[in-house]
Amino acid sequence: MKKSRLIAASVAMIATTGLLLSGCSAGAADTGEKQLTFMFRGGEDEKAAYTTAIKAFEEANDVKVKIISTTADDYSTKLKAAIAGKQIPDVFYIAQGDIQAYVNNGVVLDITEYVEGSDTLDLDNIWEYGVDSYRFDGSLVGEGAIYALPKDVGPFSFGYNKSMFEAAGIPLPDVDVPLTLEEFVDISKQLTKDLNGDGELDQWGTGLNVQWSLQSFAWSNGADFLNEDRTKVTVDTPEFAEALQWFADLSNVEGVTPSTAQAQTLDTYQRWMSGQIAFFPVGPWDVSTYAELDFDWDLIPYPAGKTGESATWVGSLGIAVGSTTEDPELSAKLVEYLSADVTAQQTLVDAGVQIPNLKDMADTWVADSTSKPANKQEFLDIVNGYGRALPANNTYNAEWYDELFTNIQPVLDGKQTAADYLKEAQPKMQAFLDDANAQAGIG
Amino acid sequence: MSTTVLRSKPRRSRLHRREHQVALAFIAIPLIGFLLFTLYPLLYSVYASFTSWNGLAAPKFNGIDNYIKMWNDPYFLKAMWNTFYMMIGIPIGLVLSMALALGLNRKMRGTTFFRTVYYVPVISSIAAIAILWQWAYNGDFGLVNQVLDIFGIQGPNWLADKDTVKPALIIMATWKGLGYSMLLYLAALQSVPRYLYEAASLDGAGTWQQFRNITLPMVRPVTFFLVVTSIIGGSQIFIEINIMTPLGGPEFSSASIVWYIWRQAFNNLHMGYASAMSIVLGLIIFVITVIQFRLNRRNQFSID
Repeated sequence: MKKSRLIAASVAMIATTGLLLSGCSAGAADTGEKQLTFMFRGGEDEKAAYTTAIKAFEEANDVKVKIISTTADDYSTKLKAAIAGKQIPDVFYIAQGDIQAYVNNGVVLDITEYVEGSDTLDLDNIWEYGVDSYRFDGSLVGEGAIYALPKDVGPFSFGYNKSMFEAAGIPLPDVDVPLTLEEFVDISKQLTKDLNGDGELDQWGTGLNVQWSLQSFAWSNGADFLNEDRTKVTVDTPEFAEALQWFADLSNVEGVTPSTAQAQTLDTYQRWMSGQIAFFPVGPWDVSTYAELDFDWDLIPYPAGKTGESATWVGSLGIAVGSTTEDPELSAKLVEYLSADVTAQQTLVDAGVQIPNLKDMADTWVADSTSKPANKQEFLDIVNGYGRALPANNTYNAEWYDELFTNIQPVLDGKQTAADYLKEAQPKMQAFLDDANAQAGIG
Repeated sequence: MSTTVLRSKPRRSRLHRREHQVALAFIAIPLIGFLLFTLYPLLYSVYASFTSWNGLAAPKFNGIDNYIKMWNDPYFLKAMWNTFYMMIGIPIGLVLSMALALGLNRKMRGTTFFRTVYYVPVISSIAAIAILWQWAYNGDFGLVNQVLDIFGIQGPNWLADKDTVKPALIIMATWKGLGYSMLLYLAALQSVPRYLYEAASLDGAGTWQQFRNITLPMVRPVTFFLVVTSIIGGSQIFIEINIMTPLGGPEFSSASIVWYIWRQAFNNLHMGYASAMSIVLGLIIFVITVIQFRLNRRNQFSID
């Protein structure tokens, strides 16, 4: 009796350990059925949308999909742990900026042949930007074989408070011609005022976060972060300095933003939502929240610098196939369902968290005048035209890019000139970029 | 039973042996857990610290390159400095919690209520607390500056100013840890024998002298425990930094060492370098703890 109890205890213990271990491993099929794992992050809307898409996929292909969902914050850490533990999910979300490193290290699979010859999806019906973001030819992102399809594309557009303009009797900005920087400052000044007469400002022209809005003004002023082949950091140009200085001056000289040293989004985001700010960025993910606001708002092109042409960035998240998958073709098919399934796309669009991935669906969506914003076309113009990738998304890692923002505060506070700061920052950024390119084996 | 005992006289009894085995089986569970989930990763990161490893492909041996890089990395040194700077909250916290414990040790109404009040932050989720304090520190309409405004003080934009972000984090960490230290001190105070105070007051010792010569030495083990654990915990400060200043604060002024390690490992694909930094951090903590134990041993005493 006793002996058997001991044996039972040991067996139980070993079994527990075994369970723990197998619990970590993805894709251990417990039936004879084929099984794929899909790892993603997202909110309730994504979960709901993908449940239907995955069900359709399961029925059509006689497989089971095991869904691993994490919070947005945990995703990157958990995915990297899974990769380091050699348990790459069959299908998973991949950040735009990770494509180069993941391809170089053989984590994701080339799915070009599957998606190009696919009968479930028409590649020409998906935004070029979305697909091209996941192309990589060994040295440049944007060209070559396809390694993922977009989960979404996220054009970072610019909005204005229509009700505030009307109340102030200011003509509404043109939806086709971008404001010049001078016009933008001029309107902002007119709208920065003390409405209740208590001696303190309670309405402002704008309030932008340097990390998300600087790109737009730098680009439209003719500057860029990197040279063409992404080997040199080019933030030390006069155009770049001019754009950054102008950005800092919005607070320090023009005084059209809520108090100095207040570029924190939290404040201005909430002020925008309570109707105290005239101009504010709008992404597709904001639309459902902003639709509830009690003022009218719409999208306009980003104000443009010297080049006279708007510029802004487009984010994206991809869905890739893990290199260790047992069934590449089936995994690629799942990617297609998730990226382009009509029902799933419609669910996500209706939830107001993204714009359609499919061009034909986008056309009907734009034509719909019942939902906000009226100028939905602006989102599409960005994706199709003047939107670019965030600078760090095309490099091996983001260390060089983050460096720009690490020490930028004195410029925003008006304690250092933009030109001085950029001259200091460029060599440091260059060193990080060289390091990244060396690791990636290019440059 | 008796036959068993007789038969195995030279050896141990079967019962004893069996129980011994069962005990070993029980010990094995945490032991295997330790070997598998602590020792193995630890040894692996020692190895990884001598490699160039991006966390995706296999590590490549590169000698002590990571350690040389660390020495020349201004952000590593800054993060270390920040981490130890933020530890000045530890003595402040100890003094405050001691004072609170002394207060709550008195016989007065509502002590249970106050104990609960001070203990609530301890059991609250650090993520929730960090978000709460982030709002409180908002330069424009945060609670902290609104209170300062009542007294006519124009508060800074706490988390966006490189001079105030560390004090802001220290204040928060102290507030969060206060309840825990207070509770331990309270327990320690209540176990100080009454007769010591009686004897001291008969000898004419005043309140201060009693506190200085009886209370403080009697709670020294608790102080020691708190100092050791706070330093270990303080060197690993991460969550509040990551939530309140996701980019390491203005001019890197609130980046802690663990935050920097995490960022290097998971954002910048420098897993090998991050391992090397963790090893250095681990060694520093180990050395500090050894020194503390040595000092403590010298100061030990006993009452008979």
